[in-house]
Amino acid sequence: MNRSDSPLFSSGLELGSFVVTSNVLHHSWAAISELYGEIHEPPSWASPVRFRTFQQPNCTIIAFVTWPPCTKEHLQGQGGGDLVSSSALKETFPLFEFLSTKTNPRFSINKPAIDLFASVRGVLDFLKSQISTKPLIIAGHSVGGSVASLFTLWLLDKINLATTKRPLCITFGSPLVGDDGLQEAILQYSAWNSCFLHVVSDRDPVPRVLISPYNPTAPELASPTNQYKPFGTFLLYSELGCACLEDPESVLELLVATYSEGPGFDYKDIFQQLNGNVICKDSTKDDEWIAQPLPAGIITQLGAIGLGRLQQLQQQSIDMNTLIRQTEIRERKWLIRRREAYNDSKLNEMKVNMAQLEWYKKFSEDKKIGYYDMFKNEYDSRNNTLQRFKKSLTCYWTDMVDEVEKKPQWRGASFTTRWLFSGTIYRRMVEPLNIAEYYRDGKTDYIAKGRSKHYKLLEQWLDEDESRSASRPNNPKKQNLKGGLTEDSCFWAYVEEALISVNALSNGQYSSNDMDKHKRSLIQFEDYVWGMLKNCAVSSEIFLEQSSFMKWWKKYLEIIRKGIMGTSPFTEFMQNRQYSQYAPGCQ
Amino acid sequence: YQVQSAVTDRKQIVFTGHSLGGSIAILATLWFLEKFFKSDSKIPPLCLTFGCPLTGNRIFSHALGRENWASYFIHFVMRYDIVPRLLLAPIPSIEQEFESILQFFAAKSTNESAGGVPEEASDFHMIVMRNAASVATHAACNLMGSTNMLLETVTSFIALSPYKPFGTYIFCTGNGKLVVLRNPDAVLQLLFYSSQLGSEREVAEIPCLSLHQHFGYESELQESLEMQDVVDLKQLETLPLSAEVTGGDSATINSALNDLGLSTRARLCLRAAGVLEKRKQGNKRNIDAKEKDIHNAMNELETSYRAYCKLRKVGCYDAFKLQKNRQDFDANLKRLTLTGIWDEIIDMLKRYELPDDFEGQRAWVELGTRYRRLVEPLDIANYYRHLKNEDTGPYATKGRPKRFRYTQRWREHAEKMPAESSGESHFWAEVEELQAKTGNGEGFEEVKERVLKLERNIQKWVNGGEVEKDVLLEESTLVKWWKTLPQHHKLESCISGLIKN
Repeated sequence: MNRSDSPLFSSGLELGSFVVTSNVLHHSWAAISELYGEIHEPPSWASPVRFRTFQQPNCTIIAFVTWPPCTKEHLQGQGGGDLVSSSALKETFPLFEFLSTKTNPRFSINKPAIDLFASVRGVLDFLKSQISTKPLIIAGHSVGGSVASLFTLWLLDKINLATTKRPLCITFGSPLVGDDGLQEAILQYSAWNSCFLHVVSDRDPVPRVLISPYNPTAPELASPTNQYKPFGTFLLYSELGCACLEDPESVLELLVATYSEGPGFDYKDIFQQLNGNVICKDSTKDDEWIAQPLPAGIITQLGAIGLGRLQQLQQQSIDMNTLIRQTEIRERKWLIRRREAYNDSKLNEMKVNMAQLEWYKKFSEDKKIGYYDMFKNEYDSRNNTLQRFKKSLTCYWTDMVDEVEKKPQWRGASFTTRWLFSGTIYRRMVEPLNIAEYYRDGKTDYIAKGRSKHYKLLEQWLDEDESRSASRPNNPKKQNLKGGLTEDSCFWAYVEEALISVNALSNGQYSSNDMDKHKRSLIQFEDYVWGMLKNCAVSSEIFLEQSSFMKWWKKYLEIIRKGIMGTSPFTEFMQNRQYSQYAPGCQ
Repeated sequence: YQVQSAVTDRKQIVFTGHSLGGSIAILATLWFLEKFFKSDSKIPPLCLTFGCPLTGNRIFSHALGRENWASYFIHFVMRYDIVPRLLLAPIPSIEQEFESILQFFAAKSTNESAGGVPEEASDFHMIVMRNAASVATHAACNLMGSTNMLLETVTSFIALSPYKPFGTYIFCTGNGKLVVLRNPDAVLQLLFYSSQLGSEREVAEIPCLSLHQHFGYESELQESLEMQDVVDLKQLETLPLSAEVTGGDSATINSALNDLGLSTRARLCLRAAGVLEKRKQGNKRNIDAKEKDIHNAMNELETSYRAYCKLRKVGCYDAFKLQKNRQDFDANLKRLTLTGIWDEIIDMLKRYELPDDFEGQRAWVELGTRYRRLVEPLDIANYYRHLKNEDTGPYATKGRPKRFRYTQRWREHAEKMPAESSGESHFWAEVEELQAKTGNGEGFEEVKERVLKLERNIQKWVNGGEVEKDVLLEESTLVKWWKTLPQHHKLESCISGLIKN
């Protein structure tokens, strides 16, 4: 039985109880009521957001509320449901630009919420300075919870999740904050999504105001209330119990389905009651025989949040059986999608491909040509099989780079060191082959026009990684070459460009302007190679007799002899054949 | 001494204890298992505890599973007895009330009719149960394969008790029935769920009961003895989920579950524990099926690659490091195939996705040792060929993969060797490091101790057949390096004889 075909379970009830017993709700609500208690002045719309930091023995709590408290009517009133798009925000309030990615460029946020958040913009850095090494809770009630969500989001961009514990944002009865763009931006990082816990009572209308009455058959209406989508985990509770839900579609549907209008309620009552519930058996009784754990789990969960079969009689509008079935289908999809996690075993497979390329390189060197030129000139029938390995490597790394780009928090995590290391070897080994193909087809200017993005990113990440660990003892003179590979994977592109220049100069058919340009670029190239040689950053295979580099040097020597170019330490080094003693990567 | 004489008389020894005495019985049993059972006595001991507090953490439970010792421990637990659940609450959280509870226990154990239940009992019960709920629900989320990372986020805000059950648990339902459970994950769930309150009404009674039941084992078991009604919960993954079932085996099981007051929700947790156990067995079968692939790849390396190296008169290590010919390349591919399989195994072990006894299985310990001796030198050769020591650090401390660390520990454990003593598979790394330090004929004095130790080990391993003789060929890195050592040292070296021949 594999992980994939074991029966699925829905753990929403267990997670809900766990959250309740952990006391985080209790502490957060205590902070919020203390904050409310401090407010004595009459309401003023000038500074509606109140906040305070509470230092507890084992955590820090930052609480947000608004004064006067927000009501259902406010949100339903004029402009309450308006959205601000990310492009408009860019102009006025550019704190959330990091949420825009290539795949998900646009998102919108509730306008009243963003206006409230903007009113505390000046104290953001102060609040950030209050955060210590203790775990952090950011709490908020009602629209104050929306501010807390936005603050948390802002903070997630500012802290390094690889070294800091994730903060926890707890909202009580908060309206939804953004559209599907915002949802997507947060959901694609499960670590981010796990920082938000929204507590919603079945009696509270406020968190439901921005959702239009659920109606699966009706086409999407143009009304802005159809655009609000949830993110994070929702803890829905009723007097019978509570459950955690993460799948956003179920959240949306159940938020609506669980609402029961009733007398006033107070979030503070729930802790007593839920705590009692946790150590009591759930009272839901089911006489039906269910064999599968997933539907059984769903039914008990729905029962706990007030959607038992008995309630069906009271709420004719909901067909419980359909609700159960749909929730189950969604939960199944959600679980399966979430489990398709990063798979390490693929990396080992890729190492086999790399070994094949390494062998090709070695074989080429034995023929005194170097694998770059061997591949470029298609001297060998092996090229076909080589193409296959190269292709599967490129596919793997393009995909991986894409994934990592989407999940920036992967970078910096310790396991990526190994990954980046393999990626670097891959880049140094395979990119020369891409360059070979590029110039073989007669194209020019590879670096600006032909270089694939995943190479650029791999190189950029390596630089960042090395500058971060700059404290490591690093002797540039002793810089080794892993597997005898040239450090700069674009080396051959520079060689090709230099060949073009040197050909132009020896033909001499160009205007003096062009000639100067070529001369300059050749001097640049000389400096570049000389610098690499001094750092032993280039593989000795470039000095193999039939390599493009040596071809370039022969032509270059000719024009030096003609007096078009001058001499330098580098040209002396080459002329005296000192390179025969140059050894990096030689085996 | 008494134990010794019992062993000589070939009698079975039963360790037993009530309450904290149970913990002492457990430790005594462990002492016996380690001291006598592994060597002299083949008669297994038996440890019976009654109302014993949890005694070990997850590692403890895992280790007993690995040694196959868990079955010698049988714990009796009354449905509401607070003591077995006590340590699911971190000590600081119960400290305040604990004093008076202890006083009550002390009085009760000496005098049957001792005074009433202390008033703290209710709070105390509440705190213990709340913490038990935390531990149980946290564990249940993991058993169910929860994908919600909120679990992790919230966990950083609380202290969870590290205690975990092991061995066989027998739950007394209170009406004479006994329910047997062996899966430690399921036991943890049952410890919590069986003592859940049925209704608000019970809030007043249960805290009392939870203290009194700690002393009710005698009468309860007397009753059970007469009834002989024992239900063994084995196929947890097929447990009935709802309370009303009729017919056949499941009816018996169901009535036992009802007697423990298990709701659908509790049953789901037990099922999840059963499913996980079954998945572990499935994983084990998958891994066992790969044993053949491992053998094939290793045979290939052992026969053809060794033969080829012999022909070239170089050791495998050096041939591999040079990577000169097609055969070296093929060997590298074999190495990588094996890496893939072993990494997968180690990964599963780290995630606790294999049965506890996997690491103790003779066949795998031996296969691991053979793999390590054969392939680790090639890994080291690759490491130093690519000069990874210069940016990552020395192989032994920075670069050694877990697949070799784990397999080395397996052997050391199975053969009761001191830790780190079976390092024969990575002595090449030490050779490389020492060579780098003494490379230009200097620096010998500084590393003299390490050189001496290495030489002693090599002598031992070569003579014992744990390291192939090809490491002593004239062209090997080891011999070439050894020859650069100072003359006075070489004359007295313990491996000079080996190298000359």
